[in-house]
Amino acid sequence: MSHKNLALGSLRELGTVGLVAGLCGTYAATLIMASSILGSLGGDGEGTVGLMLLTVASVFILIALYVGAVVIVNAVDTVISGRLRHIALLRLLGASARSLRRSVMVGTATVGAVGAAAGLVVGTLLTDAVRMVLVARETLPEADYPVGSALLIVAFVLITLSATAAGWLGSRVVLGVSPATALAGTTAYRRVPLRRSVWRGVLGVLFFVGGFAVLALGALVGESSPAGFLIAFFGAAGSATGLLIGARFVIPRVVSTFSRLLGRDPSSRIARRNAVLDPLRTTRSTMGLVIGVTLVTTFASGMRALSDSVTAWDLDPQSLVQATQVLSVATTVLICIIVISSVIAAVGFVSTMSLTVLQRHREIGLLRALGFTRSQVRTMITKESVALSASAVLFGIALGLVYGTLGAQSLVGAMTPGVVWGMPLPALVVIAFAGLVLVLVASRGPARRAVAVTPVEALRIEA
Amino acid sequence: MTSPISLQHNQTQPVLAMHRVSKLYGEGSGRVAALDEVSVTIPRGGFTAIMGPSGSGKSTFMNVAAGLDDATSGEVVLAGQPLSQLGDEGRTVLRREQVGFVFQAFNLVPTLSALENILLPFDLAGRQVSPDQRQWIDQLVHTLGLAERISHRPSELSGGQQQRVAIARALASQPAIIFADEPTGNLDSRSSREVLTLLRTASREYGQTIAMVSHDPVAASYADRILVIADGRIVGDHGPLTPQQISDLLIGFEVGAPA
Repeated sequence: MSHKNLALGSLRELGTVGLVAGLCGTYAATLIMASSILGSLGGDGEGTVGLMLLTVASVFILIALYVGAVVIVNAVDTVISGRLRHIALLRLLGASARSLRRSVMVGTATVGAVGAAAGLVVGTLLTDAVRMVLVARETLPEADYPVGSALLIVAFVLITLSATAAGWLGSRVVLGVSPATALAGTTAYRRVPLRRSVWRGVLGVLFFVGGFAVLALGALVGESSPAGFLIAFFGAAGSATGLLIGARFVIPRVVSTFSRLLGRDPSSRIARRNAVLDPLRTTRSTMGLVIGVTLVTTFASGMRALSDSVTAWDLDPQSLVQATQVLSVATTVLICIIVISSVIAAVGFVSTMSLTVLQRHREIGLLRALGFTRSQVRTMITKESVALSASAVLFGIALGLVYGTLGAQSLVGAMTPGVVWGMPLPALVVIAFAGLVLVLVASRGPARRAVAVTPVEALRIEA
Repeated sequence: MTSPISLQHNQTQPVLAMHRVSKLYGEGSGRVAALDEVSVTIPRGGFTAIMGPSGSGKSTFMNVAAGLDDATSGEVVLAGQPLSQLGDEGRTVLRREQVGFVFQAFNLVPTLSALENILLPFDLAGRQVSPDQRQWIDQLVHTLGLAERISHRPSELSGGQQQRVAIARALASQPAIIFADEPTGNLDSRSSREVLTLLRTASREYGQTIAMVSHDPVAASYADRILVIADGRIVGDHGPLTPQQISDLLIGFEVGAPA
């Protein structure tokens, strides 16, 4: 007997899961193949260069995978929250909560595996194609390049496992659905109070404060020795871990503070409240953006600080030009590699926005009946999108500037007088523009659907 | 208790006038008339109950009369404005300024507190709450026993309290008419009596015009005029009746209806 699709309806509801797994797969395959190709150039097959590249690639892949998993948890949680009455009805008819939750997990795992496989194939083919073009144009030498890698299988297993685990985490809501919900006339509003776990708070603060202390120490040591960079790296990793652990306490507050700037009219007020209605969902849907923007800004800011420092050194014009060129190429490559987590996060953000607006069908109908005009409804949804994404982008930029500057300081502080702030203006402009595009993409569809809601149809009792 | 009513249009005009209003659903042979050439007027200040069996068209009546839905033909004049000449925006503004709503369920915006829900019509219209209105709202909140729960979110209120907040919101802006759709449908009998008494008081003491859609004879017995709808037509227009009389009337229609 298969009730794979019972709890979730069609697997199409899990489109985001498939897309995210696919993006992770494509990304992983591209990085793995690229580093094994570059590795095979560096000497006899899997030499030290290949190993080093792979290590760096794995860090990036794991970051993308983490962001992907957060997005999947949120997607599953959001889909299920919108189907609570349906799930309650299944419970009423005799389905056990455990079996329903298992079916959600199986569904997520299936979609995740399909997405991962498709992504890995696409990524491998893409890299192979690029390699062939480069060999044909004689940019790369003729050689016996690998066409695949055993690591692709490892990536497949990892992505599928992450999707499965994320499905399990995201479906926790199912356990709390009482069969009686199906009989209640009113929509059951699920408000899970944020569990104020003490150890999470303490651990988060410890890592965050400790990490920043170590990071500052690294920058200080950097004044006399480049070894400061290693210290700073661990400091940055520590404080970032602290932020991830404590994100659910920090991010909703950042969003709520920022969204006060939106205005005081009813559309803005309701947008603001909805943005932080479910702190955990708010955290999950913006955390990926924060991570992505922080990474991009860190690299951009760090590289800018480095090149500004280099300009201040006593170099002959030729080596100066050379150094700046190397840095600028490195910046571009690194940012291209790191930008994927922002893309995955953006996909998650768009999908959460549209699902939550869809679930607010009735509320929107009520607002229309009470006198919200269509443009007020549209404003409300756009502002919610602005509140969430702008907070994430600004927070990420602030973090990235600190990380990038301190990182650069720890590396070359000994050779440069004072602290050089890395202000990568072009990158910031691009990030701001991308943020604007994201706001529009995330709110346009939901706003159009919301504006089409008629009060009569939305307020019908059996809605 | 006094109410600082400031009327926005001519006192003698009816609040609602419907002239040969039809609402048709479906196409061709499957065409059904939810409202069939209904003509009726509701004068200022009364408490009218609109009754009828399930599927009689009473909810459609309310939706069309309140400007929530378009009539297929005929004219609805609400608070002096012909609805057919208003676009979506115009009707939205008319609802915001002239109409109060109390629905059976899901009346309140979940993210707003009780007080914010009550003040929503003012906020939406961008109107400042005058000292007089503020006093009126405080009075309402007090009379409805909501004073202590005023900063709570709807999810923290009982069904009866939520319904009272909805009524306070409808009364707060002193609209030309309040439409109540089965306002006691989800309530226990005690809360239900409270809500109905409130509506009657609002109409008798503050001159608030109220149209209530219900299928419950007890609820309708609180009204001073009872319209009966069956198969999309108004088949009865009565003064105040007892629950027993209303019940008999309805059973008469159910039994006497052609099969």
